[in-house]
Amino acid sequence: MRFILRRIGFYLIAFWVSITLNFLLPRFMPGDPISRMLSRSQDKMTAEQVLQLQRLFGLDNRPLLQQYTSYVADVLTGNMGVSISRFPTPVSEVIASQIGWTLLLGATSLLLAALIGNLLGIVAAWRRGSLVDSALPPLLIFIGSFPYFWLAMGALYVFGIMLGWFPLRHAYDSELDPGFTWAFISNVGYHLVLPALTIVLVSIGGWMLGMRNTMIATNSEDYITMAEAKGLKPRRIMLRYAARNAMLPSVTSFGMGIGFVVGGALLTETVFAYPGVGYQLLTSVQGLDYPLMQGLFLIITSAVLLANLLVDIVYVRLDPRVRTN
Amino acid sequence: MSHLQPWKIFRAAGVVLAASALALAGCSAPAAQQKAPASTAGGKDYSDALLTLPREDMGTFTRNFNPFSPNAAPMTQQAIYEPLLIFSPTDGKTTPWLATQWTVGPDGKSVEYTVRPGVKWSDGEALSAEDVVYTFELQKKLLGSYDYVDKVAASGDKVTFTLSKAYSPALFELGQQIIIPKHIWSEINDPAKATNEKPVGSGPYTEVTRFAAQAFELRKNPNYWQPDKQKIAGIKVLAFSGNDGANLAAVNGDVDWADQFMPNIQKTFVAKDTAHRQYWFPPTGSMINWQLNTTKAPFNDPVVRKALSMAVNRDQVTKIGMAGYTAPADCTGLSGSYEKWKNASIRDACDWTKLNAEKANQLLDEAGYAKGADGKRRLKDGKPFEFKFSVGATSSDWLSVANVIAQNMEAIGVTVKVDSPDWAQVVAGYEQGDFDSGIVWSPNDPGPYKYFAATMGTKSVKPVGTKTFDNYHRFGDPRADALLDRFAATSDEAAQADIVNQLQQLFNEDAPVIPLFPGPEWGAFNDVRFTGWPTEQNPYASLSARSPRTVLILTTLEPRKG
Repeated sequence: MRFILRRIGFYLIAFWVSITLNFLLPRFMPGDPISRMLSRSQDKMTAEQVLQLQRLFGLDNRPLLQQYTSYVADVLTGNMGVSISRFPTPVSEVIASQIGWTLLLGATSLLLAALIGNLLGIVAAWRRGSLVDSALPPLLIFIGSFPYFWLAMGALYVFGIMLGWFPLRHAYDSELDPGFTWAFISNVGYHLVLPALTIVLVSIGGWMLGMRNTMIATNSEDYITMAEAKGLKPRRIMLRYAARNAMLPSVTSFGMGIGFVVGGALLTETVFAYPGVGYQLLTSVQGLDYPLMQGLFLIITSAVLLANLLVDIVYVRLDPRVRTN
Repeated sequence: MSHLQPWKIFRAAGVVLAASALALAGCSAPAAQQKAPASTAGGKDYSDALLTLPREDMGTFTRNFNPFSPNAAPMTQQAIYEPLLIFSPTDGKTTPWLATQWTVGPDGKSVEYTVRPGVKWSDGEALSAEDVVYTFELQKKLLGSYDYVDKVAASGDKVTFTLSKAYSPALFELGQQIIIPKHIWSEINDPAKATNEKPVGSGPYTEVTRFAAQAFELRKNPNYWQPDKQKIAGIKVLAFSGNDGANLAAVNGDVDWADQFMPNIQKTFVAKDTAHRQYWFPPTGSMINWQLNTTKAPFNDPVVRKALSMAVNRDQVTKIGMAGYTAPADCTGLSGSYEKWKNASIRDACDWTKLNAEKANQLLDEAGYAKGADGKRRLKDGKPFEFKFSVGATSSDWLSVANVIAQNMEAIGVTVKVDSPDWAQVVAGYEQGDFDSGIVWSPNDPGPYKYFAATMGTKSVKPVGTKTFDNYHRFGDPRADALLDRFAATSDEAAQADIVNQLQQLFNEDAPVIPLFPGPEWGAFNDVRFTGWPTEQNPYASLSARSPRTVLILTTLEPRKG
């Protein structure tokens, strides 16, 4: 219990540091949101319009400390303000409209990659020297080393254009109305295959290799030999004794991965025109949209910290050695 | 139970995954793509088809049809709302739209528009001069525009603008303002922050029938004043996160219209279906200039500016940097939008915008910037003659242009370093006057007034360190001011043409900026489903979907009926 309280205290401090950095860093970037809008629209925006927009957005020119205190107050009350690049939509609405898709894509890819990667790692370690162990890790790492966007564009070209098996863009067909109907859900799944597949391909090598290496170390432990000597079934030993201990580092990585899922998959969204917060984050940084940037970074840092806290708690449950320390 | 080997477990898992993927694919394939066929369309009736176009810079759409918002959904100002008149630089014609005629007062201090009778808003209410007055009042209140307008008044079907000073460009500036309905907007509490989700407009396609994050549809205005020109069933806009997705959609035939930049367009887009696909990039965008910071020596010397201009190989710049999509500029400094204003004698007698490295060398030698033993020139204070060329990193075409120019400068012993940070940083440098030189766009209004005011007028010059949003190169010639004031005071076309001729002579003499090439207006189309597009042979508008001219295209297109 004390352990958990100590961890919570640590995370609160980490949270405060991250929201302060979240506030300061964007403001160190040169320029201001209106000039950025001007540089992007170039000849479509006149000089007079720039002054007009400054009036419209009512940009904050108070001293930095005042801005900081009201920012912290806003964070604690959950008021994220109004987005500049998507004026006048509030930031919470902008994020809420797209975060569902990011979570769907990210969680699906992470789960599949972790599950399949770990299973493959377990099998590879258990059957050392077999085909699975010799061929698969190098092959998957090789595939995963390709630049992601190249892999994504290649998959889009081969499976979408050449073979025509999968759709080329978006999260669902524009003719369908969103709802909990089988037609809609299956369409969403159909559109999800290529984006998720590319992310899984890129990350699966890492999971497999990590699990395999930990498993190999675990397999040499004495209690495994004892279990074999006692006559337990190999599959039971592999899964319930060796894997259970070897999966601890995987749990940590998985927790970190969950946290970063909310950051969005920018390259996936660009290549597959998939909706999500990744592209929103990019445009908000490019446009110096402070409220939206702060909102998104806040969500990312909170998610990472929360995920880490959960992992710590789960770790206590999984690994008794942590409890006794 | 027999021993289940591990490989059997994940073989089973693989089969389950594959099966589910196929099942999902099979279940929804019938609901999938409604692509426009890429082949010839013999025999199909597209009367119910929606004009489909992409928007590559938004990622996702928010349901915001507020015309005062800079982030309004695409087609808000093109299909839902309309202006009083439309000027098209591609053919120089002005089309009366919500106004049937207009007159400028004899002293140039008033403009009167006659509002078209019989026009209705999409909710059935009549459009009157009161709506026009309200529009301008609201625009002034929210955004502070049109500071030269003293008063707007309606009388019957006429709207009269009283200006505080004679300003002839006002005719087009006021004329191209889109008009909003008073009976809707006077009821809205905070018009600046309204999202206007169910817009009421006078345009051809105002009914939002479907709105999703990445696609929305606009269908016919039931009370449109030109019902015979509403031949297409509606408009559908798709969202993409970047040019690549939008270009893919265009190449694949999933959209009918594409107004974003497409590299190598002939090979990637047109070649797939030459019978139906065309592109046209008229040089009616803004003039792209190489601006030199005239507050820094040696750029304050017009001889140096002209010499540097003479060393630029504009053929290489347009062929290599801009992939041949545009043509070199001439020394009038005017882009293709101002073709009818160009002074032919100046344009033909141009010398400082044509490549002439020997003359450039000679001019620099005579001006006192001698070459050292290493072949590189020195400034008058002994420092090497080298400077930076700023360009934003994301504009790959302008970056190529910068590199070509840097190479060209080697022939005259001048060292140019290309500096390509983020655009925001580049523009921040321009605004503060903290830059050596850089590539920059220019105003592109219906008339050349703003262009010359921004390149040569003293009123737009702000000192280094004071933020400015135009005339970054901070050059002003009092003689230009006199001419600009005279231009603003008269609306007699002959007088205006004479003044612009003199302005071009002044530009030719001063060389305030180095004109490189007119920016092309990107646009391509696929006429498998719809015909009536503007082309070089029929230039009633450019192929941009974001300009005031777009409504001309929307009211000219018609579906193929087999």
